[in-house]
Amino acid sequence: MTKRDYKKEFTIDMLSAVEKPARYTGGEFGSVVKERADVRIALAFPDVYEVGMSYLGFKILYHILNRMEGVAAERTYAPWVDMEKLMRERSVVLTTLETKQALAECDLVGFTLQYELSYTNILNMLDLGGVTVLAKDRAEDEPFVIVGGPCVFNPEPLADFFDLAVIGEGEEALPELVTVYKNWKAAGRVGGRTGFLQAAARVNGIYVPSFYDVTYQEDGTVQAVTPNQKVAQPVIYKRVVRDMATVDYPTDPIVPFMSIVHDRIMLEVFRGCSRGCRFCNAGMVYRPVRERKPEQLRQLARQLVDNTGYDEISLFSLSTADYSCLDPLLDGLLKEDFKDERVSVSLPSLRIDSFCIDVAQKVNSVRKSGLTFAPEAGSQRMRDVINKGVTEENLMDAVSAAFTNGWKKVKLYFMIGLPYETDADVLAIATLAKKVLYKYKEVTGKGGAMITVSVANFVPKPYTAFQWAAQDSLTEIKRKDMLLKEAFSRVRGINYQYHESKVSVLEGVFARGDRRLGAALYKAWQQGERFDGWDECFKFDLWQQVFADCGLDPHFYADRVRGEQELFPWEHVSPGVAKAFLANEYRKAKLAQLTHDCRHGDCTGCNVCQQLGVNVVDYTGQMPAVASSTLSAAAEKVAPAATAAATTAALTAKEVQPQ
Amino acid sequence: MKLRLQITKDRSIRFISHLEYARTLMRAVLRAKLPVAYSEGFNPHMKLSLASALGVGVVSQAEFVEMELKEPVPPAEAAQRLRKALPAGIKVLTADAVDDHAPALMSVAGGATYQVVIPATDADQISQAVGAFNAAASLPFTKKAPKTKAGVKEIDVKFYIPHLEAELFGGKLVLRFDCRITPAGSMKAVDLVNALNKQYGLALPVELADIERLDLYRVDDLGRHEPMLAGAR
Ligand code: SF4
Repeated sequence: MTKRDYKKEFTIDMLSAVEKPARYTGGEFGSVVKERADVRIALAFPDVYEVGMSYLGFKILYHILNRMEGVAAERTYAPWVDMEKLMRERSVVLTTLETKQALAECDLVGFTLQYELSYTNILNMLDLGGVTVLAKDRAEDEPFVIVGGPCVFNPEPLADFFDLAVIGEGEEALPELVTVYKNWKAAGRVGGRTGFLQAAARVNGIYVPSFYDVTYQEDGTVQAVTPNQKVAQPVIYKRVVRDMATVDYPTDPIVPFMSIVHDRIMLEVFRGCSRGCRFCNAGMVYRPVRERKPEQLRQLARQLVDNTGYDEISLFSLSTADYSCLDPLLDGLLKEDFKDERVSVSLPSLRIDSFCIDVAQKVNSVRKSGLTFAPEAGSQRMRDVINKGVTEENLMDAVSAAFTNGWKKVKLYFMIGLPYETDADVLAIATLAKKVLYKYKEVTGKGGAMITVSVANFVPKPYTAFQWAAQDSLTEIKRKDMLLKEAFSRVRGINYQYHESKVSVLEGVFARGDRRLGAALYKAWQQGERFDGWDECFKFDLWQQVFADCGLDPHFYADRVRGEQELFPWEHVSPGVAKAFLANEYRKAKLAQLTHDCRHGDCTGCNVCQQLGVNVVDYTGQMPAVASSTLSAAAEKVAPAATAAATTAALTAKEVQPQ
Repeated sequence: MKLRLQITKDRSIRFISHLEYARTLMRAVLRAKLPVAYSEGFNPHMKLSLASALGVGVVSQAEFVEMELKEPVPPAEAAQRLRKALPAGIKVLTADAVDDHAPALMSVAGGATYQVVIPATDADQISQAVGAFNAAASLPFTKKAPKTKAGVKEIDVKFYIPHLEAELFGGKLVLRFDCRITPAGSMKAVDLVNALNKQYGLALPVELADIERLDLYRVDDLGRHEPMLAGAR
């Protein structure tokens, strides 16, 4: 959309014609409307409202930025295809929800990169917002486009479209960046766009892609990434909050009118996870583990319930069951703070052993809804390859406990296409699922268990042990899917769900892609591709054509085994994890050797703490028997000083209390 | 006691659904910490109800909500607490209290006043149509009725809306009218525009109709309009 010839208003007939019009009108309780501001920043989520509104990171940043004097942080989401069509027909621009500023009128537009399949939406939102899509063509008075979030550890496929990236956690970095912008603007925009980018590049954790030149070898791999500006550091290390107690947490989040995906209080109990699953990107890029104290969490919970009117608190983290003070926290919340109120507590993920069945019952005392376990792989060998560190016995104990306690529905999450996987490993998924089914009969003496087996395709991600591995080809994945379909074909009581494999090819290409992919993104977007993560929108044939037209080979990115010495396109932005550590993990994977969790001391040498000068913050589970009154006596233990606690093998249960 | 409030649904939030509106009220009641009562049973729900459902997109100055409180709270105080807990698009206009056994607010509404603003230019055609409408004894109209077997229902518009007031200025037609509510139901304001288009060959752009409910009232035995809440206005 060309600048300045657009309209801003969604007319009555537009809003009447679209699905879920509340996505577009704002006005929610808790939204912050600042008519005047020195710096206006749009927090842009490249998916629909109900997905974006569930994202904790933006809740935090919205709160922190809006507390700054003269700064207005506002929200904007990708309009669904029905609304986009009307907007384009009538030249209506994409605005923020708060003060209805076109994105082009904001100072900064910050996108979060949550998943690769949302990248076309970023281009589309920029265009709908009146912002020039290609960074190099942006005019002096246009906003700066920022990216951040988990996928920022390989931002290269988007390098043509953003001006700068915040690498790592934004709580401290973004306010610093905004202050630099404010000063630059107040001083009369010294040096123009480049002037600001140079100033921004001096802030730790800020990456400016145009300050780096990339050269390629003849075989197509990266030869070098070289700074072309003095201010550009050879490697940008991520920002990390040292102590979670020192950063502000949003206690007055927006309460939406419409239902959103996570329609409840999200209370972040800790950040990071160091279980070290070898496929997991989040586990590497959010290190180290940093906990909040239970007393602080209880105070936050009180304020959140009072301020929102929500009746459910989700204890949020990458693996909440690993929280060292989970038991006292749950008791404090359920038996004291909210004992006379209709407030329930839920866990997005839960370790399942006998202890955790207690937890499951605590958080789910009324409804016997389904439990979800994630063994991730079917055979023990394969679980050792991925360092999942759980045994069949753990799973059987967990499901027996669940069945004995009245649960009937179990959902099991698996992946196929993992490195070093054989057909026997794939078929072991079916064997394991059947054992769970029989367990129900054994425990209850009757049939009727409902087992759902959900199988996803493994996609290798940057900064994981498997970053060198080839993704399974489409035909290979389809074959493995057929194996499983066959194995489940005559089994009653098991519902086998398989995820679309073509989408994972695209995910795989962009996850480990380089700057050259920008051309494909641009072309696919121009040809109408958006919402790739939504089945009804994703067009695989179109993408294949686009790759061919751009002279790009998707196989080069997705299913090529990378050489040990290969320089990856993403190595100049870093979460601090040593490449040697990851390489060693990849070797150990081949040997099916385990690496333990560093959470309770005993550093396993990923080097994040040393590189970034931070520590694991763990308040250890040494809660005295007299519990609540002595909570504050729990000593802070900082790895590696703390003694190693035996790493309990564990399974993960997701959504203990689904809606 | 039962707390009764007249509240608004402002332009800014006109497109939230009835369900979303109701849910927003419940959360506001919790934020305001009013001692609201819950039903018994396995899945207790808040004893809170709205007097009449409003179509999505319709602005209202006259939404009525009733909730049962476990212990009495002075209505003015309850209103004040709720004001702080509601989003900007919902305002509390009046508050009243009745005892638990008073008939449900839902059942007492006898009519509503609407204003419809819609783009229009042909003054002659419109005044003729409005004149004919006001003079007509009846005006049959087939409205959509998704819940019935036939999917449509035959109604007499004049039974619900006996009289129209119309003004045309600045390229906009402003219609004001009272619409009867009976225990068996009522009709949608937008269907008045549909009926006018159909009967008198007008081409009013229904999709742009800006509809606002100005009032909701009881009707006494003599047909006089009485406010929904005692002491209101
Ligand atoms: S450096 Fe050591 S303690 Fe820190 S996150 Fe890595 S493995 Fe854990």
